[in-house]
Amino acid sequence: MISMSDTNLHERRMPRLPGGFSLPPFGLHQWLALVIVCIALWAVGLLWLGLQAGSSWTHGWQQDVRFHVYLDKPDTQKMQALAEKLEAVPGVAAARIVPLDETRVWLDAWLGGGSQAVAEELFAALPGSIEVRPAALGGEFLYDDIADAAGALGATVNRGEAHLVQAQRMIAHVERLLWFGTLIIALAMVIIISNTLRMTLLARADEVQLMRLLGASEWFVRMPFLLEGGLLGAGAGLFAWLLLWPPLLALGDWLTQLNADVSGFILLLPLLLGGALVGGLGALLATTRMASENTSAT
Amino acid sequence: MLSCTRRYWHDNRHVDGYRCPMIQMQRLMLRYPTGKTALSGMTMNIEKGRFAYLTGESGAGKSSLLRCLYGGVRPSSGKLTVQGVDLRSAGQGQVRKLRRDIGIIFQDHRLLFSRTVFENVALPLRVQGWKPDRLVARAEKVLEFVGLKDRLWSFPEALSGGEQQRVAIARAMSTKPALILADEPTGNLDIGTARHVMDYLMELNRQGSTVIMATHDLHLLDTHPGDIFRLHAGALAEELHLVRPGMQVSGSGPHDQHV
Repeated sequence: MISMSDTNLHERRMPRLPGGFSLPPFGLHQWLALVIVCIALWAVGLLWLGLQAGSSWTHGWQQDVRFHVYLDKPDTQKMQALAEKLEAVPGVAAARIVPLDETRVWLDAWLGGGSQAVAEELFAALPGSIEVRPAALGGEFLYDDIADAAGALGATVNRGEAHLVQAQRMIAHVERLLWFGTLIIALAMVIIISNTLRMTLLARADEVQLMRLLGASEWFVRMPFLLEGGLLGAGAGLFAWLLLWPPLLALGDWLTQLNADVSGFILLLPLLLGGALVGGLGALLATTRMASENTSAT
Repeated sequence: MLSCTRRYWHDNRHVDGYRCPMIQMQRLMLRYPTGKTALSGMTMNIEKGRFAYLTGESGAGKSSLLRCLYGGVRPSSGKLTVQGVDLRSAGQGQVRKLRRDIGIIFQDHRLLFSRTVFENVALPLRVQGWKPDRLVARAEKVLEFVGLKDRLWSFPEALSGGEQQRVAIARAMSTKPALILADEPTGNLDIGTARHVMDYLMELNRQGSTVIMATHDLHLLDTHPGDIFRLHAGALAEELHLVRPGMQVSGSGPHDQHV
């Protein structure tokens, strides 16, 4: 026999949910799974944030992207022919011959008000310049096509500007790789949560067996574990999202300088729902094995 | 053969007990995958509303028979019908439905120690889909029956062995089952507590439930009479029908004897 104070001790230790039910036990296995899944989701979140930053950076430049084609010893006729040839390249919106006075203004600004003699000397050595504006959906080989067209008339293309296009291409590849990596990590998380819940199932085998003896349907038995898996995954997603903020805040100034618009809020729902999804799938996997192994209680 | 003439009722309908068998079995055999034969050609009927004891030495087949009755194991051959359900051919759904109308009490009571008394008692009700707002009231009512209403929010580990067994009885009766199966419910209890547990089971029987109880405690039969099915080596060795505590007995079997 125990006293009422002992009973109250238990009640204090195990708070009840509405309806009089106790919270399911949350032990070491659940904590471990939560931490592992949280770290995995955090890593995935960081990678996607990085991609977001890179994409934002290159697309910011995309608005101003211009290829400059240079022609040594320019004459008006040759420059006109080159501009027409460049405009005919698929993916090119316009090609404009840069006037000499505009080039002079740019040079002065670049020199920052340096020696007039040096400026004159440099201006005399400057090649003729044609500014090529790509269309919104420039092709993958736009730079190469422009370079080919320019080369046919002895002109060259500014290589530095081409790096931006290469960066965009690389980011597109990275995005595809990231989808694949996310899928693999999600699969690993499903297995981790499945194994965790499998251990929970073993620990609560008597409860499962009793429910079966009482005539519970398969879904009645499985539902608490599915909910637990979903909540565990969603909890890990929430923690992962919170952990994204320290690096975001630390790199905030640098990202601003790069003109990269990165938002952590965008990842809240994907991490929450993604976590819940992998948790639910893990629970489904664990309880499917349970259902197939134990179809009748003894 | 049967001398009792009283009538039994269930679900508010009076039923002539002897014409409505709760359990029928013919040449029932059960062989486990290990090759051990637990039941060998058992034939018996138990009518609705009876209080039946399964007795016999350890290994006689009492627990195996109870397992068969709630669909825990499928008979190898013969015929077994419980509440009209043929358990040899019944599907999983039928077995589940049958189990919802059976209350089971174990020797080790199988309470969930991480759950409160309320949650233990309410579990069969939840399985049957009772609305949550009705659970506490029903749990209180059945716990009041076994004298444990004030322990609704306690944990089983805080209860004595007798109290735990009473919670198991409350759990078994919470859904008002037509059939209660008890596997040595008094096996771990002292005589006084065991008699109290038997009083509760007898009261459930008086309220209309058929009770089948496997036991070694033959001394309980003096004060709590019922039908006695003595098993030996997986077969029915003897069948006695006590009609009241005054020891009126009718019997059958190879070794008729008075208890």
